[in-house]
Amino acid sequence: MIKAKPKPLDEILEYIQPYENILIVGCGGCVSVCLAGGQKEVNILITELEFALRDTQSNKQFKGYTVERQCNEAFLTEIDEFAEETDCMLSMACGAGIQLLAERYPHIPVFPAVNTIAIGVDRDIGLYEERCRACGECVLAYTAGICPVTRCAKGLFNGPCGGTQGDKCEISPEIPCAWCEIYERLKAQNRLEDILKIRKPMEWRDQIQRKFVQKGYEKRYLKED
Amino acid sequence: MAKKNIDTAPIQKILKKNKREIKLGLKVCAHCSLCAESCFLYQATKDPKYMPSYKFINSIGRLYRKNGKLSRGEMTKIRDIVWHDCVLCSRCYCPFGINIPSLIALARQACRTQDLYREYDKEPTEG
Repeated sequence: MIKAKPKPLDEILEYIQPYENILIVGCGGCVSVCLAGGQKEVNILITELEFALRDTQSNKQFKGYTVERQCNEAFLTEIDEFAEETDCMLSMACGAGIQLLAERYPHIPVFPAVNTIAIGVDRDIGLYEERCRACGECVLAYTAGICPVTRCAKGLFNGPCGGTQGDKCEISPEIPCAWCEIYERLKAQNRLEDILKIRKPMEWRDQIQRKFVQKGYEKRYLKED
Repeated sequence: MAKKNIDTAPIQKILKKNKREIKLGLKVCAHCSLCAESCFLYQATKDPKYMPSYKFINSIGRLYRKNGKLSRGEMTKIRDIVWHDCVLCSRCYCPFGINIPSLIALARQACRTQDLYREYDKEPTEG
């Protein structure tokens, strides 16, 4: 799932400085699971903002509302009734949710209250690790289920760089070298030939905004020539 | 979370605003169970509690019939239905056109007004 972290409070305070009526919109999806932007975190943010502004002459009014998913417009309609009286919105969703919210209310400034970090795994409650950058050309089949894009500091596709220190990455002795792990796992599975094959380079040039239609839905969304 | 009484006013506001959709859904549902096959949780378990119709009837349907006047315990049961038994993937399908995800989302809305929602720091996710 997508993982996010709350933004520093000072940064949020700077965004909302000119506005009085502020709607903080939580999301019941991924950011709830990673404890960054669900209803509980909306309530916490309101308390923190009110506390931070307690000694100022601020007239700011905060209202919190959590929708089930900010990345699906069907769930955003619930906010319509508050939009009229809102000067700005703080979205606690991932980058996709924030953009859909901003698209629905183009006349209202929408600011992010979280930083979207990664597509990651849950190691424990509150402990997450990045595992995927949604590059669109998954190579895990021949890298033993270890993503070189995400787990190699340089995102290399063809083996370790010269900076490898033993089996660790040159950026930190605590970070394993992704390519050493790939090699060891493939070797253990007797699949080393998988990384010896010559493959086409990654099409990084296609890394602009992607839009896709799922198989079976072509007739519904794609125009025939 | 401290146990609080249920504040029926915000629930009734949701019920009133969406009365037509809820009433129609409850009236049109023929209990045909065809929606069951579109729920991946039902497919995996064959447990009737995962049938989309069961979920909306026993959440927003129950709230509607009781006009929001439920105890906290009953509201907690609804919370469990709409969060634990449904991920709101919105893939469920009704041959009569009932928008089941929308009705379940309304039940979640009602729960949220009572500070009832899934707490992922206390109840780790299974998926």
